[in-house]
Amino acid sequence: MNVYIGIPLLAIVLVGTLLYILRNVPEKSATLTSLGIGMTFIIGMVFTMLVPSFNSNWSVNTGENLARYHAVYSKTEIAQAEKEGREPQPLTTTVGHDPADLVGYTPLQARGRLVYQREGCMYCHSQQIRPLNGEITRYSLGSSGGSLAPVADEREYVWDQPHFLGTRRIGPDLSREGGKYSDDWHYSHFYFPRQMVPGSIMPAFTWMFTKDLTDASAPPVPNDDMRALVAYVQTLGFNRQVWYQPLKRDPKTGAFIKDASGRFINDGPGYWRRWLDPTDQLQTQEIGESQVLRADTSAGGGLGGQVRGGPEKTPANVIPPKPPTPAKP
Amino acid sequence: MRMQPPDTTERVQHDDIAVKWALWAGVGFMCLFGILGFIAAVKFVVPDLFWSVNWMSWPRIRPAHVQGMIFGWLLPVYMSMFYYMIPRLCGVKLYSDKLGIATTIVWSIGILIAIAGLLNPTDSLSLWWMTKGKEYEEFNPIANIFLVVAWLMLLGNMLTTFARRRYTQMYVALWYALGCMMWTAFVYVIGNWPSQLLGGDHGFRGLNDANINWFYGHSVVGLIATPGGLGIAYYFLPKSANAPIYSHKLSLVGFWTLGAIYIWNGAHHMIYGPIPYWLQTVATIFSFLLFIPVLALVTNFFGTIRGEWHQLRTNVPLKFIIAGTTFYLLVSTQGSFQALRSLNAVTHFTDWVIGHSHMALFGTFTLYAFAACYYAIPRAYKRPLYSEGMADWHFWLSFIGFLLFSTALWIGGFNQGIQWNDPAHYTFIQTVEDMKPFWHVRAGGGALMLIGMFLFTFNMYKTATSRLPETPGDDGGARLIADTPPGTLAGAR
Repeated sequence: MNVYIGIPLLAIVLVGTLLYILRNVPEKSATLTSLGIGMTFIIGMVFTMLVPSFNSNWSVNTGENLARYHAVYSKTEIAQAEKEGREPQPLTTTVGHDPADLVGYTPLQARGRLVYQREGCMYCHSQQIRPLNGEITRYSLGSSGGSLAPVADEREYVWDQPHFLGTRRIGPDLSREGGKYSDDWHYSHFYFPRQMVPGSIMPAFTWMFTKDLTDASAPPVPNDDMRALVAYVQTLGFNRQVWYQPLKRDPKTGAFIKDASGRFINDGPGYWRRWLDPTDQLQTQEIGESQVLRADTSAGGGLGGQVRGGPEKTPANVIPPKPPTPAKP
Repeated sequence: MRMQPPDTTERVQHDDIAVKWALWAGVGFMCLFGILGFIAAVKFVVPDLFWSVNWMSWPRIRPAHVQGMIFGWLLPVYMSMFYYMIPRLCGVKLYSDKLGIATTIVWSIGILIAIAGLLNPTDSLSLWWMTKGKEYEEFNPIANIFLVVAWLMLLGNMLTTFARRRYTQMYVALWYALGCMMWTAFVYVIGNWPSQLLGGDHGFRGLNDANINWFYGHSVVGLIATPGGLGIAYYFLPKSANAPIYSHKLSLVGFWTLGAIYIWNGAHHMIYGPIPYWLQTVATIFSFLLFIPVLALVTNFFGTIRGEWHQLRTNVPLKFIIAGTTFYLLVSTQGSFQALRSLNAVTHFTDWVIGHSHMALFGTFTLYAFAACYYAIPRAYKRPLYSEGMADWHFWLSFIGFLLFSTALWIGGFNQGIQWNDPAHYTFIQTVEDMKPFWHVRAGGGALMLIGMFLFTFNMYKTATSRLPETPGDDGGARLIADTPPGTLAGAR
């Protein structure tokens, strides 16, 4: 119902009821007490809950290019991909696209969200990078923080129902987790976290794997819920882009050059790029793969072992090719 | 403000059947969810406890413990104490004992359905059954329906009792109780339905969803737990101390500012989050304004026992209420300062927050509930309390256990927050390792609290099942108990 009809109508009904009560109920103090209680509540609710929540910046119906903040799929493309038996491709831009046709998650990822919800992952993991230096550095990737973790932006969350912002970090923040490790690292980690991260207190989600208990060397196999969950985790922050403005550097020292008035000098036009640099992604994935290779069945009293998900991989899992080494002079 | 009894010599007989039913529902759930809480605490240091049992996984036990304690223990014991004090404050019998019993049954079924959905042994992904996935609004829609129906039954019962009252002036405990009941009705519905009904392809998603979640979540603490607990304390403090409330004006100030200020606080759970900066600032300002109702209440309570502090040596309900009031002052001060951005940058997401939340829900409201039960339940059963010594043990175990629990978490949590801001020297797993000694102390403190709860349960059970005292009188000894000065019941077994 249109909010501009609904709210005045509601106000008329409430005021009418109020006048009726005041005219006909003899006992005024209880009525006025109740009304007072109601008014304090309504005023606070309107200003802290309703006014911000109807802010159009947080809804899908905006002219912004949402593809810069989160993967966006068109429903027709998903249906097409399902017919052809391939992975749906995210859009590169949402500008000019019909909002009713847009979704933020493929069916597999959406199921993964439901599994995340059911298992209660948000009770230990938050999904918001705060604008604090230590936090940006901590969740950056690559040696000496090559890919700086961008601070959480409201537009990253427009597809989330329910939200998973989280209020605790018993485990690390996950909003920049997508693409950091391979799918196999995640499967091995979910199966028995302590074999990948010694000292971890994360539960071992063994019920989402099937293991042949008669054969000690048989690897555990993730079930559909677990595959969906890993597909979802690999979306976290993966499509987040940042505006990059190259600045002029001194070719010998690499330091930034400033002009006469002390300002930095642009070195060409700025552009949007994914926050996670391919070189940094390669580095973390290689570290993760070495952890997977180390996992063995003797860990955790027989609980441990490598878990390989299978041939299909999430897009975040594709390890980019090594950049060519520059020719020696 | 003294209440004037009506001119008639006829004294109202309260059957208190609804009191007893609601009490046992609350006490039963308290034991169950207390045990779950202890298991959760142990799992921090023994993570492979019950490994591979899906319904015993920590992230499923955690919401079961938190929501179970609020909606399974705290609200039923509030209902029990409302059934006790509201008829007495109104000077009439409760409108319907049968409705009270039915309310407790419907509510308890709702809680059981909710917990089964949270623990989810069948790993169901059905939106009708599994957790809704947002804090304080985890219960599945089926459980929501049961709880709302039960609450409407409670409202009907209480408002009818209230409408038939004989005393024209309303005592402050009555305002708080009515406020709690009416606010709960609104708050619970708003929190648990709009996002679901209006979600999907339109309406509340993302940060809108988060904003409504925390508007509701904080209102659970501020407009359900707080007025209910304060109302109960406003009744049972002057009753057990045998002293009038210090100031009626202060109780007015406290009540109205509470209602006006608390609802603005929701966004303080998301400070430095992606929500608009102005909304965070509004929440911070109003979080600080909460000093007004808190100081009004604390002044009122401490003023009430001015000259009566010697009673703390012998009066068990008074011990619980004064300890609870002290914790209320501390937790509200702590909360107001936590809302400031500078402190929030350190404490947000850490274990400090768990110490804070338990000081409110256990240190204040649960201790108030214990005080009320120790006063009211012997009178409801018309028998003396089984053992004052055991009640004393309960108090000290709760008090010391809770201090161990929360101090470990505050120190460890603050340290954790400082370390998180120093990524050059601390990897995340190192901060987890550094918390482990504090988690051991927390589990130890929690064990003491749990033992105290079992003593309380045993005491209540023995009180309820002991033989009626053989004293002459038309009401089987009730007058004797009601008129006996506090602290002298232990001998009358």
